[in-house]
Amino acid sequence: MPKIDDYGRGALDFIEGLERLKTVDSVMDAMERAFNRFGFETIILTGVPNPEQRLEQMVLAKRWPAEWFKIYTANEYVRVDPAVRHLRRTVNPFEWSEAPYDAGKEPRAAEVMRRAVEFGMARGFAVPIHNLTGYEACVSLGGKHLDLNVRSKAAIHLMGMYSFDRVRRIIVPPIKAHRLTPREREVIAWSSQGKSAWEIGEILNINQRTVEAHAASARQKLGATNATHAVAIAIRERLIEP
Amino acid sequence: MIHVISAANRHLYEDAIETHYRIRHEIFSAERGWKALTRPDGREVDAYDNQDTVYLLAMEDERIVGGNRLYPTMRPTMMEEVFPHLASVRGIPSGPTIWEWSRLFAIKERRDSKLYFELMASLHEFCLDEGITELSGVMETWWLPRLQQLEFTVHPLGLPDLVENQMTMAARFVISAETLSHIKAMANIKGSVLVRRGPQHSLVGRALEMQRQAAAKAS
Repeated sequence: MPKIDDYGRGALDFIEGLERLKTVDSVMDAMERAFNRFGFETIILTGVPNPEQRLEQMVLAKRWPAEWFKIYTANEYVRVDPAVRHLRRTVNPFEWSEAPYDAGKEPRAAEVMRRAVEFGMARGFAVPIHNLTGYEACVSLGGKHLDLNVRSKAAIHLMGMYSFDRVRRIIVPPIKAHRLTPREREVIAWSSQGKSAWEIGEILNINQRTVEAHAASARQKLGATNATHAVAIAIRERLIEP
Repeated sequence: MIHVISAANRHLYEDAIETHYRIRHEIFSAERGWKALTRPDGREVDAYDNQDTVYLLAMEDERIVGGNRLYPTMRPTMMEEVFPHLASVRGIPSGPTIWEWSRLFAIKERRDSKLYFELMASLHEFCLDEGITELSGVMETWWLPRLQQLEFTVHPLGLPDLVENQMTMAARFVISAETLSHIKAMANIKGSVLVRRGPQHSLVGRALEMQRQAAAKAS
């Protein structure tokens, strides 16, 4: 049983070590090692999708059984998961069992909690992350036999927030993202509405080639691999309205 | 604009300082529910409001809309006297260029506006001007992701714990020109956010003097 001091020192050493990690995978490896010590076996770092968004586009990183992610997304469990609902209402971390739902009136909520157990997630702990501009996200951890007490929860809370931030900054290097020009922002915004380059040209009264140039420039600044990725990053960073 | 108020020029701001104590009472005692700060006279004033305190008060015309408070760590600080257990892993920062930051506030009507960004920018601009390299402070943990979004470098000093029913942590904040430029870019702030009226003196100079006096007493 780790001593009280060890939780603190362990957490702060882990947090300081994060800065040296340069890839999402290395951060996830470090998180696995650190959170395994508390009995966690699954990790997900994700934004909460609004009704028009899908979970898949909001996930920053995860170590989940592939089969469970398939089931979770195919069934749109994110819409009925009591933990997701709860994390929108609180800034405090919580055990999944503390997320209220009525098993009688909400059978789908009961279903997602029950099926999670099949994939090793009998219990879990969620760390809500709310930023200044309304973005809601979380680090959610699952496992079977968890070491959860006042001190370990405080350690997990702190480590969770810092891990999320490290991954966020690796995926979207900060300085670039905020230098989108107004035109680049407009092009991405229309692109998020499903408009083609030609249509955007018509709307903005500019040449289609120019639209494509703005889109390419925005993708580069955002560090996006394609148009969809660019839109996802822009929404996540609140550069455009979802 | 954010007014720099210290011992050198507070005679120009006595009314504003008084008013801001009442605003602090409304926000911290009533709204946030920090019962320990409640006072019968409706003024939220504590042991760290004195001649050594620096206030960065956001004012629109003559109206106070927000603020920050800074206090030298060469004097006994809140972290040391009230919350030392929150800094039990890394220890309590102290030095002439390290100041304690507390009582960040924005009045209700201005909370969705650019004001928070200006208040955050004012901290870095002011500290860079004065040669203050770090701030220390105790804050609710829900502030961490918000500060991280502004590209603040925040180093935890210990594990969070419940204070008046809110998870709270102690940290030190690195002052940086990069953080300042990021905040200004995010909120489209151009130029300085600070106003300096009346006499000014070197705050780090005064903190160094405090350090010298403490060393002299000890020997």
